[in-house]
Amino acid sequence: MFRVGEAVTVSIRFPVGHYRVPQYIRGKRGAIEAIMKPAAVNNETEGFGQNAGIKGYYYRVSIPLCEVWTGYVGSPSDGLRIEIFESWLERS
Amino acid sequence: MNQSENLLKLLPNDIGGLPADRVERIDHLLEPWEKRCHALADVLDFHKIINTEEKRRGVEALGSEMIGKLSYYERWIAVFAIILFQKGVLTPDELARKMDVVAARSAANEPEKVCQ
Amino acid sequence: MPHHDHDHAHPHPPIVNKPDPVPGYYEIMETAVRELLVEKQLLGAGEIRRQIEVLDSRTPALGAKVVARAWVDPDFRARLLADGRAACEEFGISFYDDTRLIVLENTERVHNLIVCTLCSCYPRPVLGLPPDWYKAKPYRARAVKEPRAVLAEFGTTIPDDVEVRVSDSTAMVRYLVLPQRPAGTDGCTEEQLASLVTRDAMIGVITLNPERETVP
Repeated sequence: MFRVGEAVTVSIRFPVGHYRVPQYIRGKRGAIEAIMKPAAVNNETEGFGQNAGIKGYYYRVSIPLCEVWTGYVGSPSDGLRIEIFESWLERS
Repeated sequence: MNQSENLLKLLPNDIGGLPADRVERIDHLLEPWEKRCHALADVLDFHKIINTEEKRRGVEALGSEMIGKLSYYERWIAVFAIILFQKGVLTPDELARKMDVVAARSAANEPEKVCQ
Repeated sequence: MPHHDHDHAHPHPPIVNKPDPVPGYYEIMETAVRELLVEKQLLGAGEIRRQIEVLDSRTPALGAKVVARAWVDPDFRARLLADGRAACEEFGISFYDDTRLIVLENTERVHNLIVCTLCSCYPRPVLGLPPDWYKAKPYRARAVKEPRAVLAEFGTTIPDDVEVRVSDSTAMVRYLVLPQRPAGTDGCTEEQLASLVTRDAMIGVITLNPERETVP
């Protein structure tokens, strides 16, 4: 499990057929803002009709928009918040 | 990444950050059948006959041409039919025959049966 | 919808408000799928009708009442920010799905905006169904990349020293923006306050502060 405030990087990989981690945040660095409870089934397997099984946590991750986009136009403090399943997060 | 590879790796609905037009504040009142289709989606999810995530996955599987050309609820009902075939709940032949019955009934100007 | 529920026996056509247009291909498919599922007893006959009533009962007016309550009741506001779903349920708004709700508070320092880049996730139990522009490519593609340009297209200018925070829904959490209470509303009742709150302010594409709005 990750802790609130911990630095994380979104994995870079390319699942086939279904995913819920958009490409624009893969490989980006951010921080855990909150742990989403309760634990839930990964929606990427749910997409194939599996309604039960191993559960894990989604995390609300905070990523600065200037980290997401090179040449971001706006304020340096502007940010993104997105929920990411634990299997996509790496300590960084 | 070559072109054909990217067709599989990038889902047609994964559009965050892509170039796009100015936002026009479009909206419309749902047609009665569109609202029924939305309610059907919810009820299918309640029973886990087709969960919400399966519907999303099914829409992606329609491919970018159909996603671009079908309306929102046209995509949903097409996906429900396909997933119900995959699960053996309905057969393609059964749905085709039922659609003929519904079309004939409508043509005869019978009032449509809504959930009776 | 046409009804024919009187029981006297004479063969007249049903009374309808207007003639139904000939249904299109996809509408026929919707009717056929639904009727087959009911015939197979996989869905109860009344379930779709009941869910339509649930959908019809959800409009931005509901979210507006939640916002107004949060403005006048600090304890409720604290509970709403701690657990959006529990506070809405306490307020009498049922959640008909498995989603959670995070309420995002706009302040002097932060302006929140919600989007779903992958599909059309939206706080439906509280706001009803999303408008078409929310589901269309321009908003979904651009809100995460150039939120200030998108806001400007809605006539909203956020000062540079205010953080724009974009929440992209991808899983079980939905978001509702708690707008800042407009200045000069100290004397308003809760009902009057609720009437000032709009759907777009709860998505975060506008503020309720006239100084931050221009004609787009």
